[in-house]
Order: sequence, then structure tokens, then C-alpha cells
Amino acid sequence: MISLTSPVETRAHGWPAGAKLAALCLASTGLFLTDSLGLHLTALALVLVLYAAPGRVFFTAGMRHLRVVLPFVALLAIWHLITAELHAGVLIVLRMVVLVALANLVTMTTRLSEMTDLVHRLTAPLRRLGLPVHLLETAIPLVIRFIPVLVARAETLAEAWRARSRRRPGWRLIFPLMLHALDEADHVGEALRARGGPLGHTRPE
Amino acid sequence: MSDTASDDIRLDDLGYEIAGRPVLSGLTLATSARSIGVVGRNGSGKSTLARLMAGLLQPTSGTIRIHGHDLFRDRRAALETVGILFQNPEHQIIFPRVDEEIAFGLRQLGQSKTEAAEGARAVLAGFDKLHWQDATIAALSQGQKHLVCMMAVLAMRPRLMILDEPYAGLDIPTRRQLQRYLNRADTRLFHISHDPADLADCAQVFWLDQGRIVAQGAPCPVLADFTAEMNRLGELDDLADLAG
Repeated sequence: MISLTSPVETRAHGWPAGAKLAALCLASTGLFLTDSLGLHLTALALVLVLYAAPGRVFFTAGMRHLRVVLPFVALLAIWHLITAELHAGVLIVLRMVVLVALANLVTMTTRLSEMTDLVHRLTAPLRRLGLPVHLLETAIPLVIRFIPVLVARAETLAEAWRARSRRRPGWRLIFPLMLHALDEADHVGEALRARGGPLGHTRPE
Repeated sequence: MSDTASDDIRLDDLGYEIAGRPVLSGLTLATSARSIGVVGRNGSGKSTLARLMAGLLQPTSGTIRIHGHDLFRDRRAALETVGILFQNPEHQIIFPRVDEEIAFGLRQLGQSKTEAAEGARAVLAGFDKLHWQDATIAALSQGQKHLVCMMAVLAMRPRLMILDEPYAGLDIPTRRQLQRYLNRADTRLFHISHDPADLADCAQVFWLDQGRIVAQGAPCPVLADFTAEMNRLGELDDLADLAG
């Protein structure tokens, strides 16, 4: 779910990030306050309309991003079938799908730089307390930059394992992956230093 | 840009040790050549030299002066004086998007957010790559990532560009294209490579072996000797030797 981007420029790209996040916050709170199946279904329909509004390309991309919640939907459905709480199960699944879909929608239509700007503004009070919040401005893009790198690294490790073993690698790759992450951290540290350290810092002496 | 000061790069008895083992020792050189090549085998200390020159490592002994500055101590001068291009772009790219990566260095030079964004656009336009602006790094090819690194470093207008095996693993067309971009850039080059072919156009070449300079001079004789020696070693089995 990291680095969700939209294939097309939508009207929502122009809306302020703060407003979109506030709306997401309101919608989440609202859904948790109600147990009405009808309201949840209405919310789902509304979200689908929002996804469909920018056109077919956006809709298919959005639905593809949503596929990651399917395993959780299946898990919750099975659990509630076992415990025979059908109504509660449907409610929870609907709520989860709607909220993840809405959150994805905000991410897809908001540039990363706007999001970090917002964080910058929201953390202003903490900054006045002397906390090093400027580090967030570099840390957030770093996470988004390196998740795909680590995922790719995990895949090549698994591949190297499978090339010489019939067993599945599983947890045994965690340690080499951690070492790789530390190594990567060293490199990025060097790259940061080569160009002057994290953002928002006062210039080097 | 003209360099009036002579001997802008000065290493004086430079040494660097890792855990007590010397990686570089007794390096002394002074040069004002516009393009400098360093050739050497894997493990000869080339990458360490590149990092020392960029001020990323502190010498264990001796001194380095680039355009008169000690770049390890004076990071501000370092940002205005040198840029370093690492061998692996994955080790260099910090941001998930092309324009952010390029704008980063400009902000480090003290530009405001809008100035830096404007500057990044100008650099991309200068390379005819304005359409890369919103591209995510993960979607780029290896050669394209190299070019992003190059644009990000050149955006800071370094007077000296340090290249640490920038072409390793790239195909011939990609190499040639990157080389063309570099030659066009108005900056001095300090190019480190194990491949003599990369350094044929340099004004001056140094041959580094086991942490020492063993030959220096015009590229023609030095690189010819280097190639002959490498071919001779290729017949032997020094892979068998363990360090230490």
C-alpha cells in the first residue's frame, strides 16, 4: 500500500491535503459510531462513486490497490462464520473495506510533498518544544523510497534460496534481510552526508 | 569556469586505516588537471580514496586539500566544491521521486522549497527529461537511475565531480550516453575505475595498487602499463591470497 499513485490527474489532486485528511478522519469516526447496515452500504456505494468519478483508468487502478485487503476480508468472514455472528461480521468487513478504500483515495490523490508539508505544519508545536521533528521531512520519503527496495531484496533472497533448496525459506531470511537493511541504512547515511544531511536542518557549519 | 589556483587537489602523505589495517598509505599528489583518472584493481583503495576526497571519511594520517578546503571538517565548503557519484545508484538515491531527489541538494545549498523545485525543473529541462519530473524511482531502469544521480549531483554545480566506477555493469550505449552528459557538464572530473578504457580521455592518470600510487602521468603510457600488468596477473592465481 506504500507509494500509491494515481495514473491520472484528478480534480481531488488540487484539494488541500489537510481537508482530505480531515474528511477521512470524520468518515472513520462516523462509521465507528453507527451499527446500521444500511449506512455502511450507503458509504460503500458512495466510495465506489468517488472511485468511478475520475474515469475508468482511475477506477481499475483503485480497485487493484484495494486487492490487498482481500485476505483480511476472507479471514474476518471465516472467523465470523465460525462464531456465527453474521451481522457483526458483515459490518466489520464493510467498515474495513470502506475505510481502507477512503484512505487509499486520499493517498492516491495527494502528492507526497503536500503530505510532508502537512506533517511539517502539524508538528510545529512539537518543534517549538525543541523536538527534532524536521527529521520527519526526510524520514517519510525515505520509508517510501526503501520499502520497494527491501521488498525486491527479499524476493532476490528467496530466489537465491529456492535456487539451491527444495524447502521454503520462511523466517530464515529475516536475519539476512535485517543485515541488508542495516547496510542500506549505512549507504543512505553516506548519501545524505554527501549532500548536506537531512532536510530542514540548519546548514552545516 | 577557469581554475586559476594551481594544484587545486593536494594530498599530502594521506593514509587511511580500517581496524588497524592500512587501506591507503603515503599518498602524495598535487594536480590541477581538468580531468583526472585513477585506475586500480578491486580492493586497491579506490573507493576509499573517492570517499576521502569527498570529505565523507576522515583521514587516519596526512591531509587532503581540495581547492584549499578540508572537506571533512568544512561540510559547507564541501557541498559547494565537490559532488560524488556512487557506483550503485541505489546507494545514492534518497527520495522516491525524481524531482524530489534533484531538489534535495538544492535545498541543502540554502534554497527555499520553491526555488529548489524551480531549479530541479531547470536541470531536468537542461537534460531534456522534463517528463521525468513526477516519475517514481522504482519505475526507472538502472541506466535511468544513474542519470538521476548524475542530474542530482550536477544540479548542485560542484566544481569537482568525483566518479566512483560510475559505469560498472552498464551496457555500451548507456555508458556512452552518460559519458556524453558528463563531458557536457562544466565541472572538473575525478574518475575512478578498474577499466582503463573509461579513463583514456583523462588529462592525467594515477595508478593505485594496494593503497599506494605506483605510477602517474599521461593516460597513454600509464594505462598501457596497467593493462599489460593486469593481463600478466590474469595468468596467475592471486585470488588464492587472503587479506591480512
